[in-house]
Amino acid sequence: MQFPAVRALDGVSIEFEPGEVHGIIGENGAGKSTLMKILSGVQQPTSGTIRLDGKPVSIQNVRQALSQGIAMIYQELNLVDELTVAENVFLGREPTRVGALDFGKMQDLTQGYLDQVHAPFSPRSKVGDLSVAGKQLVEIAKAVSVNASVLIMDEPTAVLSDPESRALFELIAKLRAQGTTVLYISHRLAEVCEICDRITVLRDGQKIATVEARGADPAQLADLMVGRALQDFYPEKVFPAQGGQPVLEIGGLGEPLTIEPGEIVGLAGLVGAGRTELAEALLGLRPVGTAQIKIDGLPVRLSNPKQAMRAGIAYVSEDRKHFGLHTSLSAVHNATMANLRSYGHVLNQRKERATAEDWKKRLDIRVGDLNDAVSNLSGGNQQKLSVAKWLDTRPRVLILDEPTRGVDVGAKREMYDLIQSLAREGMACLVISSDLPEILGLCHRTYVMRENRIVGELGKDEMTEEAVMRLAAGVAAA
Amino acid sequence: MKWRNLLAQYGALFALIVLFGYNVATRGGEFLQLENLRNLISQNAAVGVIAVGMTLVIIAGGIDLSVGSMTAMCGAFAILTVNKLASGHMSPGAIMALSALVSIGIGALAGLFNGFVIAYGRVAAFVVTLAGLAGFRSIALVLGQGGEIRSSLPQLQDFGFGGVAIPGSHGTGGGPVILYWSALVFLLVAVATSFVLNRTRFGRYVIAVGANPKAAEYSAINVQTIRVAVFALLGALVGLAAMLQAAKMNSVGTGSEGLYYELDAIAAVVIGGTSLRGGRGNVWGTVIGVILLTLITNMISASNIDTNWQGLVRGIVILVAVLIQRGRPENE
Repeated sequence: MQFPAVRALDGVSIEFEPGEVHGIIGENGAGKSTLMKILSGVQQPTSGTIRLDGKPVSIQNVRQALSQGIAMIYQELNLVDELTVAENVFLGREPTRVGALDFGKMQDLTQGYLDQVHAPFSPRSKVGDLSVAGKQLVEIAKAVSVNASVLIMDEPTAVLSDPESRALFELIAKLRAQGTTVLYISHRLAEVCEICDRITVLRDGQKIATVEARGADPAQLADLMVGRALQDFYPEKVFPAQGGQPVLEIGGLGEPLTIEPGEIVGLAGLVGAGRTELAEALLGLRPVGTAQIKIDGLPVRLSNPKQAMRAGIAYVSEDRKHFGLHTSLSAVHNATMANLRSYGHVLNQRKERATAEDWKKRLDIRVGDLNDAVSNLSGGNQQKLSVAKWLDTRPRVLILDEPTRGVDVGAKREMYDLIQSLAREGMACLVISSDLPEILGLCHRTYVMRENRIVGELGKDEMTEEAVMRLAAGVAAA
Repeated sequence: MKWRNLLAQYGALFALIVLFGYNVATRGGEFLQLENLRNLISQNAAVGVIAVGMTLVIIAGGIDLSVGSMTAMCGAFAILTVNKLASGHMSPGAIMALSALVSIGIGALAGLFNGFVIAYGRVAAFVVTLAGLAGFRSIALVLGQGGEIRSSLPQLQDFGFGGVAIPGSHGTGGGPVILYWSALVFLLVAVATSFVLNRTRFGRYVIAVGANPKAAEYSAINVQTIRVAVFALLGALVGLAAMLQAAKMNSVGTGSEGLYYELDAIAAVVIGGTSLRGGRGNVWGTVIGVILLTLITNMISASNIDTNWQGLVRGIVILVAVLIQRGRPENE
């Protein structure tokens, strides 16, 4: 059975000028990535045309996109760590001399590109030894090397420090001066207003507006992005009675973290701040290090996932397809996978089926045949199924890592409702999210992590976007 | 369902029916004789037992190239045990039972060794069992001083050709047709393994580990234990197969015993529709694969074709099976 795919993009028409920095903003799931994937040849549109310099072009794959001068720099950089900078720049189109790789030429040319992007390292450096910012420069050098006339950047500053971001902005200005069109995707509205010429707002796969960046107001842009008041998008918060015995306590990592029954607690921080690592330690997948972990006031040992599960910890992974679910197996088998020990050595298949039916009803999982492979389910339904799989273990604490990543807007609201109803039944929920509005809209309190430490706690009245960002970035209060 | 998926799932059965029909049409009653059909099952029963175990290993995402050499090693230990005990006062039945246990135990240990190195040494199964292919054969050759070890217990071969009389049947030599113990063991092992795979928690874990080891680990499944267990289980079945084969031959040729068993077993598994990528497969497909390979061998023997072509025909059958598998869309 096939489920109707959500239209990720619908009737969007945008013009990009030469030598323009064009910001693309929108919530997660607004269609930004789909648009960029189509432009860079990763994904094919079902309808519509792309014109380059007025001429319609067909972009079937990444190679074709590159040959027409469209280069994309992904958030997760596509470099081979084991190779040198020069080898990465020329990967797949290495210059040769009498059949052998011409390393000399490769390095000379690469040095030229590196100079253009002001990279402070040599073409002979190993990419694995570079910082994230350095790797980004390699990607940009690669784009320069193919003479890209259109450069697409997806959240380039998400992983950069402040000075690194500044350097990137200067480079973008320089590329613009040379006539390169830069498509700049970012969540950071202030920076978009600062460096772009024009900004296009996408929402639910539709173009909402294209505005001049000069004089644009970030708050107004945010309204355009969300299109509805925040309090409508998130269910109204129901605060649990305070002062109970915490279910989970984490000490030894900076600020102590506690979660009481019925609380939805956020864990915010930049990418690489150590949030997923902390969650994996709680699941027994990596050593807890200096952390002391208590469940219901008692210290617990978490050296493998089985112990963590017995202790009552459940972890809904951010990566459903690889860690959260067995996509080639059925909904029934996925629903019982984490708690299979309760179904006997010879499996009670009737009980398994009943469990799946039960979760399907309670979480409103829209699935045709429970015996079909779950790979065909939509992101939202897969996510509900991976929550069901963990609820079946009757956990004390439910850790949700990026619970709405890759889920469309409608399903997001359902996920929020679900988390809240679980909390109302007394579940302690820890929500890890890079989506700040999500943390603010959903959680009762939030902790912020930076460099593998918990650096602060924000109560319900202190939770603002600025406060979280200050803690996450490590800058003092203004 | 697309015809390609149907072909991937039921291709082996389809091929078996076609070949069966062809044989019935060309050879008629002679082919359909009960003895001939019995031979189709029992002729390669030892490979069949191993192939069934191999099915679990491949579903769990592994592969074992050492099973042929392991058969020779287990068989050598079995016959040496038989000969050692034959000079004492034990009953032949007890001697054979004890020798079978030794053979199964040695096989399980060898499989355990493979599994441990693969799971905890984090070495590819292909490489570890390739080492086993060389090593176990060498141990067998040392035990047999490079040659054949003959059994000194006459009852061993009686067991090899003993079995259960099929009621109401009449063989060509008069008397009922005997279904050999080896064929019975093969079918029983298939029934048991199919049950384990489809109905038990262990079987589900085997599938989960093969389909996505990371997701299995996150689901609090002890992935390494499952990996070790399937290799140990296969080893034990190899030990059992070695005992069946030793009883049939009344000896073990340490240089030739089990030669190419890994090829036949893996071929049967693949022909039966089990994915070499792991996570999906079924035991009965493997059983059909074993019978199909036997039938093809017999057809070549019965025809005027030079039997040296057998290897090429097998190779083509394996390739076709894998190509059909490849055409199957991935559920990712």
